[in-house]
Amino acid sequence: MTGEVNANRPMGGKPVRILVAEDNNADVWLIEEALKRQSLAFQLDHYLTAATAIDAVKTCGAGGSPVPDLLLLDYNLPGGQGLEILAAAAANPNLTDVPKAILSSFLRPDEFQDAIRMGASCFIPKPASLTEFLRDVGTKVVDLLYPAGASKGSSAKRAG
Amino acid sequence: MSPRQVSDGRPMVPGPAPVKLLAVDDDQHNLVALQAILEPLNQELMLAENGTEALRLCLDHDFAAILLDVRMPVMDGFETAEMIRSRKRSRRTPILFLTAYRSDEQLFRGYDLGAVDFLFKPIVPEVLQSKVKVFVELRRSEELLQRQTEDLKRTERRFRDVLEAAPDAMLITSEDGRIELANSRVDMLFQYARETLIGQNIRTLIPEWECLTAGRVREPAAQVEIRQMGVRRDGTSFPAGITRSPFRASDAVLVTTAIRDITSQVDAEARIQRTNVELERRVAERTAALSSSNEALRQFAWAASHDLQEPIRTVLAYTQWLSEAVNGRLGERESGMLAVIENHALRLNQLLGALRQYIHVSESGQQEWAPVDCNEVVAGTVATLQTLIQETGATVEWSVLPIVPSIEILLMQVFQNLISNGIKYRSHERAPAIRISSATTKAGWMFSVMDNGIGIDSQYLEYIFGVFRRLHAVEHSGTGIGLSICKAAVERLGGCIWVESTPGSGSVFNFTLPRDPHRESRTQ
Repeated sequence: MTGEVNANRPMGGKPVRILVAEDNNADVWLIEEALKRQSLAFQLDHYLTAATAIDAVKTCGAGGSPVPDLLLLDYNLPGGQGLEILAAAAANPNLTDVPKAILSSFLRPDEFQDAIRMGASCFIPKPASLTEFLRDVGTKVVDLLYPAGASKGSSAKRAG
Repeated sequence: MSPRQVSDGRPMVPGPAPVKLLAVDDDQHNLVALQAILEPLNQELMLAENGTEALRLCLDHDFAAILLDVRMPVMDGFETAEMIRSRKRSRRTPILFLTAYRSDEQLFRGYDLGAVDFLFKPIVPEVLQSKVKVFVELRRSEELLQRQTEDLKRTERRFRDVLEAAPDAMLITSEDGRIELANSRVDMLFQYARETLIGQNIRTLIPEWECLTAGRVREPAAQVEIRQMGVRRDGTSFPAGITRSPFRASDAVLVTTAIRDITSQVDAEARIQRTNVELERRVAERTAALSSSNEALRQFAWAASHDLQEPIRTVLAYTQWLSEAVNGRLGERESGMLAVIENHALRLNQLLGALRQYIHVSESGQQEWAPVDCNEVVAGTVATLQTLIQETGATVEWSVLPIVPSIEILLMQVFQNLISNGIKYRSHERAPAIRISSATTKAGWMFSVMDNGIGIDSQYLEYIFGVFRRLHAVEHSGTGIGLSICKAAVERLGGCIWVESTPGSGSVFNFTLPRDPHRESRTQ
């Protein structure tokens, strides 16, 4: 499954910028591995706590600071929930068009509903099996960055 | 006899006892003549030849009338009359004087002595007869009156006795509450001397007393005890149980009011009430404590299953990543070790997943009740278990199942766990065969999932429904939660689950689902 080609994906160009809020370094390494196996050029801005992630999300795009192409937010973070980062992201107009994914090994239906209501684009489960993890996280991230049916203009704009 | 007498029912007929008459004359011939004249009256005529004899007879008899000759030797008629009058017994006995002389002096003296009449000789029989007849009737009327008076007294005495014997204070009043009679318990209860109450209004004792009738007399069955306050002479009050029974007396409606001091009863009721309130409060407290500890446990279990999930998922993924990374560079022994780590991480992961599922199933609310076609649920479950069914060569059959009011996801869990259990715990000697059937019961349905597996020893029939309870080694790859999930799900659906089994030949898992699940689940 790894290496499946997304039709909307431009070859080469600038690496995509991904903001990751995740307290488990082991999972960050797994995410990096998954993206590598998608042959994606990327740069991760990693935050270990909700507080630091919220600060970062609030200031994205302000004073020339970079705007990420994607937010990957763990649902359960020390010192706050992924939902609060979502709320901060929703309040920042620079992030309106940026896809926001919630990660968790498991979400109850009500937790999922809350996340969608707070502006999450989707929920990416963390499967227990390595193969599934690398495949699922990788393809989901690529799909979010280069959605099927999106105009070249918009992806080009984001890439630029 | 006049019609008036008949309508009054006076006992003139037949043959009342004859009344006694006394004739006093010193002349035998006159006595015989009087006897002859009075014979037709059929009364008992006694004769005396002188005053002394007459007085003697008056001592022993009550005469309706005495015919007294005025002129007699020794003691004349007037003297005799005087003597008769002086005696208590004969003071009022009517005396007719018989005399040959019409002298005013005699008349005055006679009337003075209490004579009622004078008869002048020679006696005219008809006149004598009719005059005596009047006295006979007078006596009869007196006797009747006396009997009736006695009857009345007796009746009244009996009535008073009954009133006195009554266990409650009894008052008889007019409709507006004026007291006509009271029994001695009224004195005891209200501390009034009974005599002082007669003529007073009952509202002195029972301020809220109301006449039950307002002019009409109710059926006795309609009389019920009501509660009002009674007021004693010293002004203290007590709760009283009051029963009013109106009855129609000859000229008016009277009301019997029975009054009972119900202080102890009211106290007892208040105690029971207090106890009930206290009990309810304790039950509510206990229930609140239990449900909050249940909620705390549930949250703990949920958090634990979640928090344990993360590290074990990481261990599992990294074990797999490591074995991928060192692929081919490890010896058989080291590869085996990695495999052990991976298997156990996998198993722990499975257990946590099952635990989460169990908690999810036990949770209240959230899921939607809807009509669920059990045939579709079973067919869907069989499709999900297709791999297991094919690997084991199992057969799953089901009869036509009902559509039930239920929560589909829960019902699915039940069938999936029961069917996969039936296959997992199969006998080595035969291919697993699962039969699912249903029956209608009074309250809803009973479902049976029958297998031909290894069966369950009777001592474990309840044990197996507990969380993490397993009877077999990992070879059967159970999590030990499947039946707990079934039990939690069935109970949330308002039913119950149990198992019958013959070790060595198979088990039947039965569960019920109610027709009206909302009522059933409320009563649990």
